Amino acid sequence: MDTEALFECVTSLSCLVTQTSTGLIVGSLLFLVATGLTLIFGVLGIVNFAHGSLYMLGAYIALSAFRLTDSFIIATFVGAIGVGAFSLFFERFFMRRVYGADVLMQLLVCYAFILILDDAVKIIWGSEFQSMGMPSYFQEPPVFLAGGVIPVFYIYLIGIAACMALALWLLLNKTIIGKIVRAAASNPSMTSALGLNTSLIYAGVFAFGGALAGLAGALAAPVRSMSPGMGFSILIESFIVTVIGGMGSVSGALVGALLIGLIRSFGSIGFPFFIEGVMFVAMAAILVLKPSGIMGKDSH
Amino acid sequence: MLKIENLRKSFGGVVATNDVSIEFPRDSLCAVIGPNGAGKTTFFNLISGALQPDSGRILLDGQDIVGKSSAQIVHMGIGRAFQVAKLFKSLTVEQSLRGALLSPLGKSSSLAGRFPLSVTRDRAYEVMDQLGLTPKANVISGVLSHGDQKLLDMALALVLSPKVLLLDEPVAGMGPEEREQMMDTVYGLWKKGGLTIVLIEHDMEIVFKVSQNIHVLSYGKVLAEGTPEQIRKNPVVIEAYLGSAKEHAA
Amino acid sequence: MKARSFLQEAMIAAFMLIILVCIPFVSDSSAVIDFGIRLAAFAVFATSLNILIGFGGMVSFGHALYFGAGAYSFGLIMQHLDLPIPVAFLLAVGFCATVAAIVGAICVRLKEIYFAFLTLAFQMLFHSIVVSWTSFTGGDQGLMGGLPRPPFLGLNLVEPSDLYLFSMVVGVVSLLLMRYILQSPFGFTLRMVRDNPDRAKFLGVNVWRIKLLAFVLAGSFGGIGGIIMALLVSGAFPDFTYWTMSGEAVFMVLMGGVNTFIGPVLGAALLLGFNDIITRVTEHHGLALGAIILLFALVFKHGITDFIVQGWHKLTGKKVES
Repeated sequence: MDTEALFECVTSLSCLVTQTSTGLIVGSLLFLVATGLTLIFGVLGIVNFAHGSLYMLGAYIALSAFRLTDSFIIATFVGAIGVGAFSLFFERFFMRRVYGADVLMQLLVCYAFILILDDAVKIIWGSEFQSMGMPSYFQEPPVFLAGGVIPVFYIYLIGIAACMALALWLLLNKTIIGKIVRAAASNPSMTSALGLNTSLIYAGVFAFGGALAGLAGALAAPVRSMSPGMGFSILIESFIVTVIGGMGSVSGALVGALLIGLIRSFGSIGFPFFIEGVMFVAMAAILVLKPSGIMGKDSH
Repeated sequence: MLKIENLRKSFGGVVATNDVSIEFPRDSLCAVIGPNGAGKTTFFNLISGALQPDSGRILLDGQDIVGKSSAQIVHMGIGRAFQVAKLFKSLTVEQSLRGALLSPLGKSSSLAGRFPLSVTRDRAYEVMDQLGLTPKANVISGVLSHGDQKLLDMALALVLSPKVLLLDEPVAGMGPEEREQMMDTVYGLWKKGGLTIVLIEHDMEIVFKVSQNIHVLSYGKVLAEGTPEQIRKNPVVIEAYLGSAKEHAA
Repeated sequence: MKARSFLQEAMIAAFMLIILVCIPFVSDSSAVIDFGIRLAAFAVFATSLNILIGFGGMVSFGHALYFGAGAYSFGLIMQHLDLPIPVAFLLAVGFCATVAAIVGAICVRLKEIYFAFLTLAFQMLFHSIVVSWTSFTGGDQGLMGGLPRPPFLGLNLVEPSDLYLFSMVVGVVSLLLMRYILQSPFGFTLRMVRDNPDRAKFLGVNVWRIKLLAFVLAGSFGGIGGIIMALLVSGAFPDFTYWTMSGEAVFMVLMGGVNTFIGPVLGAALLLGFNDIITRVTEHHGLALGAIILLFALVFKHGITDFIVQGWHKLTGKKVES
């Protein structure tokens, strides 16, 4: 553990700014992915183990869309909607058959899809590392804040994530759709007894959650290189985030994602080889002390 | 045999058990009745150690069992059958009973020897015979009929030779013929002697037929106690039942 | 169907062992020997996991911790200490048991998905330690430099045929031991805890203690799987303790059948077999394996042995001991 380097960075404003911004974009991407995961769990009671692959799919679809249209905005949009559509298909034709079954059967179905999707990506896009590259309109000189460096794209990404967070909050808390979704989450049988189509709600939430993962993948494309199997690590991290934040809680996903994002960025300075270890210690600590998560309800 | 003194239990703001004092004499067959929500199952939970009371004493054969875990209370002699049978669905009737007998032998975590242990055979069959389950010894619990499941549930309570047997709605979900059979079985068990039985029941016909004493609970308090004759004529009790019936009708 | 006695089962095991040992004499192929050794490692590993999943009702996502712990501790002992293989073997198993006791003491209190996640967390923590402690464990390259294998009992484990014999014996004996444990009073108390922990408590069972014991046993046998693997590859790799290894074990158990003893062994054979065949037939390993797994999950909905047992029930109306 390089405590000296860590201390130096924390006390240097420029380093603080740079690392915090890095932490924020990692956190922003994680927030989007984890929110999808936590919504699906909260409403459908399913742990979507294929979620990381949806993220990967979003990145690749956006890549192709960008190559075709040279517009990042379109690419992002196509990525998100494309994955949303795929998620709908996945939910309707596959996950629905294992709703009542053991969580292990659900896991098996998801794992099968991870294998299939990874191979599909390999076949369509090839197995070498791919890169979207930074779209031209983001190739501006970075912003300098207190001596720290913040690439322009980071601001864009963080901004989008913040807008999504706000939009989600409004959607869940201030609209009828949000009320319905929250009702279905806490009491599905009552919700369907009231005449609401739970089947439709489930499909909608799953598609939306998937779209969020796809959006994250598309947004990550300029700053991450892509390869089949890139979904694994984001899956693990978003699990950690949802457990820490509280499964089913969107605000928890926000808190958890920011926490993990910052651990990642500052960790790369202070304990580069042990970052995963620290994240798992955090998850273990939460599971032992407050299993329902930071923002979760103490229902146990 | 079982003496409850000033038992109190609240959940949040709701007082489920309100200063309840009841005595169940040795070798008696008593019933605890009351309208829905009176706190009967909570009462059983408190006696069997599933819940801890806020205050009060529960004396089993003179010894206070408050604060003890349900496992300890079981070993001290209280057996409990549940409203919804709690069974080991993948084990057969015989396996369930012989498995239950491992605990008093201290052999639950024993890696030595092959299950079932031969010493458990006699007692398991004794209880199966008592309850008429012997023909079904090798049937997997999960596929038993509802009535047989309730019988097995009772068998699991009996197999550890308790001094007090708590039966929570033994005939729940049964048709009239099955009810009679079950009550004959319970009555037969009691007649053999050496067992104090307390039942919770809603079927008044059964309650009035078999019980020596009836204790009526309402809103967590003891409303009345007495013989079936006394309770049948007790205006307060009638009011409590009709009152709640009126509420439901309204 | 009358229950078999332990002696009968031991004889069946001995018979199987003889058949297995004779296979290399029939087929000269080194691929068969390689498959056999890997099967021994994974059959033991998967069956040890099923102590938790099938018989204990505890789904662990982090069982690879013990596979890796077994491999690494055995490897490190052989590299650094001058001990005979059987001694190193026992020490490595002891290490796994100790780790399982510590991890289990923390984990078994939790329920279901939280238990699963916490076991995963501990496993990945172990993985992180292994990967970062480069000076001791070789980091992400794994334990390098090979494993010294002093001959013992007339066996020279450098020879593949001797290693095969060793793996078969260790594998069959381990399976027999696990079978014995699961048919003991403890094994049935474990089933009771799985089926209805409340009722078990009401019967005086210390549920926590039973679960912990199951966890320690599962971890110890899981380590044995790792040791066999370490001998096969002459080292230990971080992959042994990565979550994909845990996942493979879970799938072996699921595909073979959680409700029978032999299910996981069959599942291991199937998965290893599928992997081998698929890699030979097509480049698109993921598509093929994924499709097969979907078939199991959506069509069979149960592992193979569970499927067979259910079918037997329906045909004959009899109950089968598993």
